[in-house]
Amino acid sequence: MKDIPAPGHTEISVCGLHRRFREGAREHVVLNDVNLDVLRGETVALRGRSGSGKSTLLNLVGGIDVPDSGRVVVAGVDVTKLDEHRRTLFRRQHIGFVYQSFNLVPTLTVADNVRLVLELNKVPEGDARARIQQLLEAVNLADRAQSYPDVLSGGEQQRVAIARALSHRPSVLLADEPTGNLDDTTAETVLGLLDDLVRKSGGTMLIATHSATVASMCDRVIELHNGKLEERA
Amino acid sequence: MPATWRASLGYLLRHPWQLFLSMLGVGIGVAVIVAVDLANASSRKAFLLSMDAVTGEATHQVVGSPAGFDESVYVDLRVHHGFSAIAPIVEGTAMIDEVSLQLLGVDLFAESEIRAFTGLRADAGSDTESLFREFLVTPGVVSMSDQLAARLGIAVGDGFTLVADGREHRARLLATIEDPDGRFANLLVADIATAQEWLGTAGQLSRIDVRIAADDGPALARLEASLPGSVRLLTAAGRTRATAEMSKAFMTNLTAMSLLALLVGLFLIFNSVSFSVLQRRNLIGILRGIGVTRQQLLVIILAEAGLLGLVASVLGIAFGVLLGEQLLALVSRSINDLYFRVSVTAVSVAPASLAKGLIAGIGAALAAAAAPALEATSYQPRLALTRSTLERRTRSLLPYVTLGGLVVIFAAVVLLAVSGRNLVAGLTAVFLLILGFSSCVPYAVRHLSRWLEPVARRFAGMPARLAIGGIAAGLSRTGVAVVALAVALSATIGVSVMVDSFRGSVNRWLEQSLQADVYAGVQRGALDAGLIDALQRIDGVEATSTSRRGWIEESRGRTQLIAIRMAPESYAGTELLDADPAEVWPAWESRDAVLVSEPYGYYNDVGAGSRITLPTDRGPRQFEVLATYQSYDVNASAVMMSRVTYERYFDDDGVDTIGLYLESGVRADDIVARVQALSVGRQNIRVDSNARIRELSLDIFDQTFVITNVLYWLAMGVAFIGILSAMLALQLERARELATLRALGMTPRQVGSMITLQSGGIGLLSGLAAIPLGLVMAWVLIEVINRRAFGWQIDMSVAPGILASSVAFAVITAILAGIYPARRAARSEPALAMREE
Repeated sequence: MKDIPAPGHTEISVCGLHRRFREGAREHVVLNDVNLDVLRGETVALRGRSGSGKSTLLNLVGGIDVPDSGRVVVAGVDVTKLDEHRRTLFRRQHIGFVYQSFNLVPTLTVADNVRLVLELNKVPEGDARARIQQLLEAVNLADRAQSYPDVLSGGEQQRVAIARALSHRPSVLLADEPTGNLDDTTAETVLGLLDDLVRKSGGTMLIATHSATVASMCDRVIELHNGKLEERA
Repeated sequence: MPATWRASLGYLLRHPWQLFLSMLGVGIGVAVIVAVDLANASSRKAFLLSMDAVTGEATHQVVGSPAGFDESVYVDLRVHHGFSAIAPIVEGTAMIDEVSLQLLGVDLFAESEIRAFTGLRADAGSDTESLFREFLVTPGVVSMSDQLAARLGIAVGDGFTLVADGREHRARLLATIEDPDGRFANLLVADIATAQEWLGTAGQLSRIDVRIAADDGPALARLEASLPGSVRLLTAAGRTRATAEMSKAFMTNLTAMSLLALLVGLFLIFNSVSFSVLQRRNLIGILRGIGVTRQQLLVIILAEAGLLGLVASVLGIAFGVLLGEQLLALVSRSINDLYFRVSVTAVSVAPASLAKGLIAGIGAALAAAAAPALEATSYQPRLALTRSTLERRTRSLLPYVTLGGLVVIFAAVVLLAVSGRNLVAGLTAVFLLILGFSSCVPYAVRHLSRWLEPVARRFAGMPARLAIGGIAAGLSRTGVAVVALAVALSATIGVSVMVDSFRGSVNRWLEQSLQADVYAGVQRGALDAGLIDALQRIDGVEATSTSRRGWIEESRGRTQLIAIRMAPESYAGTELLDADPAEVWPAWESRDAVLVSEPYGYYNDVGAGSRITLPTDRGPRQFEVLATYQSYDVNASAVMMSRVTYERYFDDDGVDTIGLYLESGVRADDIVARVQALSVGRQNIRVDSNARIRELSLDIFDQTFVITNVLYWLAMGVAFIGILSAMLALQLERARELATLRALGMTPRQVGSMITLQSGGIGLLSGLAAIPLGLVMAWVLIEVINRRAFGWQIDMSVAPGILASSVAFAVITAILAGIYPARRAARSEPALAMREE
């Protein structure tokens, strides 16, 4: 695990990014010369219509996907130059994911879902236990540590997902429609928690969202339109 | 086609692997049952045809003592009592180029009333009348079927050498017999005088075939009254049936093995078909939501399953016919070794066998689809059709399923206790045990995996915990795969322990019963008296024993009669089960008394102290049963009497085997060589040392069980496919979970290892779960099935190696089955986790 980084430096640098997909004979350009810099500690909302390429950009930043051309540098590492194995290890150490449909492992308890990434990062058991306790208390789920995901509400599941995403103190947290499957009240609670924890940890967050409420909470809003990024006030 | 049908079928067609595995499961299950059924039916048909060839139109047969009876009986019946529809027969064995054939000596003129040897063919120009004349007057001429002649490479007119009664004789093929259906495949026909000369039974007949209308009571009564006391009249059909009955137990056991393969196949079908239904939960939810009724959905799903079952069954039947040809060779070899000579080279495709396969395949597919279809369509349209709902339902059903299983096991135990000696009831109980046990396996798996989970985690971390935990968590999927493998494995354990115990018992019995150092003898006929004398005088031979074996024919079947003159050391070779040897042996040597083999005692419900009646040359006589002796002789039902008693009641001084007891320091191999040298020019005899006979006997034993090995390998193959399909289905369902793990930082190798470990875990749990059922099955096979089928009492012994290797085999099989799913899982795209459905 890393120390909380000092704000001000560029944490995510996207430069000349191109990504297109082929659908039969047709080619669909999703990202067309995208450039973006996100500072350390900054939270940025990524907006755009369905299919505009928000998830694709998150995948490229997280090292899940590779661009056709361009560069993605995260936490000082040029992700586009890494092979598949190194990208996996990079994700494991530097990236936290929060998904719209939570994606908790159904066969693991709440505590073990959080523990999963800590174990992958070989965090000693004592430290891991303390970290899990701390995070579950932070998301108000300390009493559900031994429950399985299928008995939790949607809001509770997303809180577990947030705890899991932050467990290894990632440099960057990528969230794809984190409140998309939640009602307004629950969404507000979850969002507040996410914002609070990310800011406290000094992490950088990139959130793909349709929601104006989510966007209003972020330091900056950018919009993807026809494969290009546009800065919004 | 309506859109609802297209929607459902479209799913299947878009998952061709799953469709392929479902069809493979049904197909293999059907193929195995069809193959065994065809092999059994073909062997039986060939046997009945060959019996028919020998029996002809005869309705009754006159039979005598094991050595036959005087031919004057025939003359008396024909000349003095006026019976015309009768034909004398001399029967024996002849070898041509190591091919063992049935030698039938007939009187061609009398034959016209019983057997029409039509279609006799010789050289061009020979008419039937001149053939008949030549057959009658020329010594050493024979006839055989055209196929047999072609097989032996003998043409009409060719001379050749054959061996009968241990002696070489010259013969000539006079004519061939047309034999389109192969009923004469093993038959060598000669004139009665020729056969008598070759078999050394001058003046003796084996039987007289009789044709009398069944309703002609007075004629039958008159015939019976005309017979001397030493011979008796039996119905021909009864005799054929009694011989066929001998192999019934063997065939019943084979059928049971094929049903076992089908049962494992059924698990596979259930696995595959139920997956294909369950994976369409969302589609079913959507269709229900837009107004498709439960009944409509059920019809669609069941019609699909029926169609799948039909197509796969047809393919399975085609494969089954091919497989049947391979099995046929094994089955007929076992029958030849154990029961009677049967020559069958082609599978005769019985419509009943095909129908059985078709019904089993379609029925199993429908039954497998019905349960999950009912469950999936019972949900309200919007009710979360989630995995967790399904798993929760599975978990809540588990105690009831387990309880049901225990009730079925109890029913099996009761059935075993009350079914007496009924073999079919015994086999039914075995299947109930399997069914009951299968129902308890998922419960055991859930608890075993919970126990293994922390252990796995301690040694291999979270991926291992995920792997093992996933087995219990996905019980609705893994449970069926575990059950399929556990049942196949338990059958392996059960049969292996049974065969191993049986082999051990046979080996001990051979060691004990083969007391002499060297045995010399002839298979049929008698040893030359001069040769016996010479053998007894060989330097280094301390003592000798002799034996004579023959068959007593009765309407209820055949019993082997063994007459023995014991050497002092011989007595210890016979283990008496229910009486004191010190009292038995003196009485056996002096009184009208016999010993009965264990199977004879079991089937006829007699033992020490009973009395039995045997037909003798002095008419029916009562004998005291002094004891039951242990025997694993393939001619299981036997009566042993002393030579002195035998000679009192049977006019036969022949000896077919002599045992030589050697002085200490004399090598058996030297004596074998000496015996061989002495026999040259006198008689072709078989001579072997004690050790060699034991070795040969165990070889035959092992050959007999080759068919069993083949069947349980098939069952294991089916289980392998079961695991493969379960792991693929699990992986399909967990695609998003696996993608999330990849996104969170698990490497492809870690994901692949996790799936491999999970497969290995399924193998381990199946292996552990299979041990108790395997041992119970072994016990039932030994104490119930073998006892009821063959009358043998086997000492059960469990070699730990069998259990350990079964568990290891299960783990290896499961890991192999998991390789492909693991490779696919390792290639999971982490981006899938981001994508919404």
